[in-house]
Amino acid sequence: MAMTGCKDFANYLEAWMEGERPADAQAHLRGCQHCRAIVEDMDAIRATAVGWNSEESEPPARIWNSLRTQLEQEGLIRNRRPGLLQRLRGIFAPLPRPALAGAYLAALIVAAFAVSGPVHRQVNHYRWIQGTRESSASVGTHLDSVERATVSSMTEKNPVVTASLHQNLAIVDNYITLCEKSVQEEPENEMARDYLFAAYQQKADLLAQMSERGE
Amino acid sequence: MPEAEAIRRAQQGDAAAFERLYRLHSRRVYSLCLRMVGNTAEAEDLAQEAFLQLFRKISTFRGESAFSTWLHRLAVNVVLMKLRRKSGTEASLEEITEPDDESGGPRRDFGGPDLRLSGSIDRLNLQRAVEQLPPGYKAVFVLHDVQGYEHNEIAAIMDCSIGNSKSQLHKARMRLRELLHEELRSRAREDRKTAESISGGEG
Amino acid sequence: MSTHKLISKQPVLMAAGGIVLGLFLVGAAPASADRIEKHFKVEAHPIVTIHNPDGQVTVRAWTKSEVMVVATRSSSQIEIEAEQTGNRIDVITREASETIAPQDLRADYEISVPEDAELQIHDDSGGVNVSNVLGDMNVETVAAPVDLEDAAGYLTVKTVGGAFQCVRCAGRLEISSISGSFKFLDIRSYHISAQTSRGDILFNGEFLPNGYYHLKNYSGVITVRFSPADSFDLSATSLKGKVYNEAKLLPSAHPHHFIPKFGNSLFGMFNTGHAKVELSSFDGTINILKRD
Repeated sequence: MAMTGCKDFANYLEAWMEGERPADAQAHLRGCQHCRAIVEDMDAIRATAVGWNSEESEPPARIWNSLRTQLEQEGLIRNRRPGLLQRLRGIFAPLPRPALAGAYLAALIVAAFAVSGPVHRQVNHYRWIQGTRESSASVGTHLDSVERATVSSMTEKNPVVTASLHQNLAIVDNYITLCEKSVQEEPENEMARDYLFAAYQQKADLLAQMSERGE
Repeated sequence: MPEAEAIRRAQQGDAAAFERLYRLHSRRVYSLCLRMVGNTAEAEDLAQEAFLQLFRKISTFRGESAFSTWLHRLAVNVVLMKLRRKSGTEASLEEITEPDDESGGPRRDFGGPDLRLSGSIDRLNLQRAVEQLPPGYKAVFVLHDVQGYEHNEIAAIMDCSIGNSKSQLHKARMRLRELLHEELRSRAREDRKTAESISGGEG
Repeated sequence: MSTHKLISKQPVLMAAGGIVLGLFLVGAAPASADRIEKHFKVEAHPIVTIHNPDGQVTVRAWTKSEVMVVATRSSSQIEIEAEQTGNRIDVITREASETIAPQDLRADYEISVPEDAELQIHDDSGGVNVSNVLGDMNVETVAAPVDLEDAAGYLTVKTVGGAFQCVRCAGRLEISSISGSFKFLDIRSYHISAQTSRGDILFNGEFLPNGYYHLKNYSGVITVRFSPADSFDLSATSLKGKVYNEAKLLPSAHPHHFIPKFGNSLFGMFNTGHAKVELSSFDGTINILKRD
């Protein structure tokens, strides 16, 4: 859109402050003292804020002392032998499992790649799409192998819970298939890719729940 | 002790693990609280409350997001709730992020006088102006411009979209510009009055 | 905070340091269902956690500075433990035998708490029902449905297949499920983030000024009902499905939407666009309809 005046530049100011510098906006700024003043003010505010950050403050010791006392009173800090609370956490706290940790890590890497997409896209569009495809394929394969190991070792006693977990795993697998197909057919479809990564994370979370009921 | 190990041990009630997590993050959380509320006593209470909530909920942390994101989200919510109670309204936690004018957006000063902030503002001016921002603007400005978080991190902390984070930041900066200009004009008026009273006395 | 009142013939152990235990002894109770009641004195903002594999968990607020736990267990094959540490009450249903039959796993709870209590509830199957509690809440189930009434605070609910319903709730809500459906009725919340894969989502509540409402699913129907006085900025996208709209929208005052190139989308402002409403579906249907 050709920039015709200050009003247009004002509408564009947000993008300008995020680093976008189209030629017509630069041209307007060269010729307009008023808009230049606004940009300089915004830069001054940002520079002062950055300087403020260098003065990060150390909290006083009494915060930790008070916090620790409260945590002990509530039984969240324990220095005695394990009791009911620790057994309770052992039942429900997620146990770190290398396979699942790997799946989470892979999903995070793929998600990070997808978020950084718009920047990389300007550099090498094809490589970015190819990279995302390969990463998501490896996440899917990894999750499938974790699924096989987890499902076979589940020892949940409650048949309602077992049925629900299996049924919902099938639902998530179905959505992963649909989303993978969508991403393959339309590689530039960011929404499909977001849904795919969300489905991977859902599956990893569900497998973590199932593994807690395993041997 | 690495953070992941500290989290695991804290979930089992290990005192040293709790302290490790506190030492790793307390400076950032306390600074955030201090910049949002502007006084040390309140900032100390809020930082303590944020960590207390965190440690109470730590057994529910499953690693879906970065621990620091989770903690900073808690801290921001604790501060925003405090600011909401202070304002005495039942408004949403994101509070009134629009200025009190009727336009519903930051004023656009077309053709107004060209005052310059560069060289005229310092940390104290800025801090006073930030204290006057609505809580939602304040949070995004402090997280981004002061503490250096990226928009995708702020989106995770504040549970908003990246676009929303950018939009709120822009509105916050525009509002700060207005507030700082008002302060400059007010200072200029005071200086003029002082100069007039001195020259009147000499005349 | 170590006092409690026991109405049963079960023995109680008192320990130093404000810790109170209430235990069932295996074998001492009859084989059929029996009922246990325990009381714990608490101060402001107590934390109450309940971990129950199967059964109905009902939590109600009352005006006393006390937590009352009434448990009904289906067999003596499970133990019900309730422990108080400071201002925190932990209630857990534990299997007393490794060879327990599924039908013997069930324990039902009725718990009365001060209205400012913070709740953490894990109930795999059965049901969770909470009313008039205003503290933060974290509820996790597998198949159990979750019903909240007149709740407030920071509410996070996660189910695998359980449905979720929230009536007259306020505060901040984060709800996720795989196949559970969600209903938000007469809601007055400033922030709702709800995601389900296969379930339907119904929102019939107030859009608060500067509130944020993000409803997302893969398939199923998302229905949002609005009234003429509401004010919201809307973005609605269904990648493979349809979007139906009855709201007369104007272009947004500050367009900042990410506009996807694919799918069916709708963006705009209703009245002055004060709240932010984001609706998203993979291949489901999105309905923006007038309130009856």
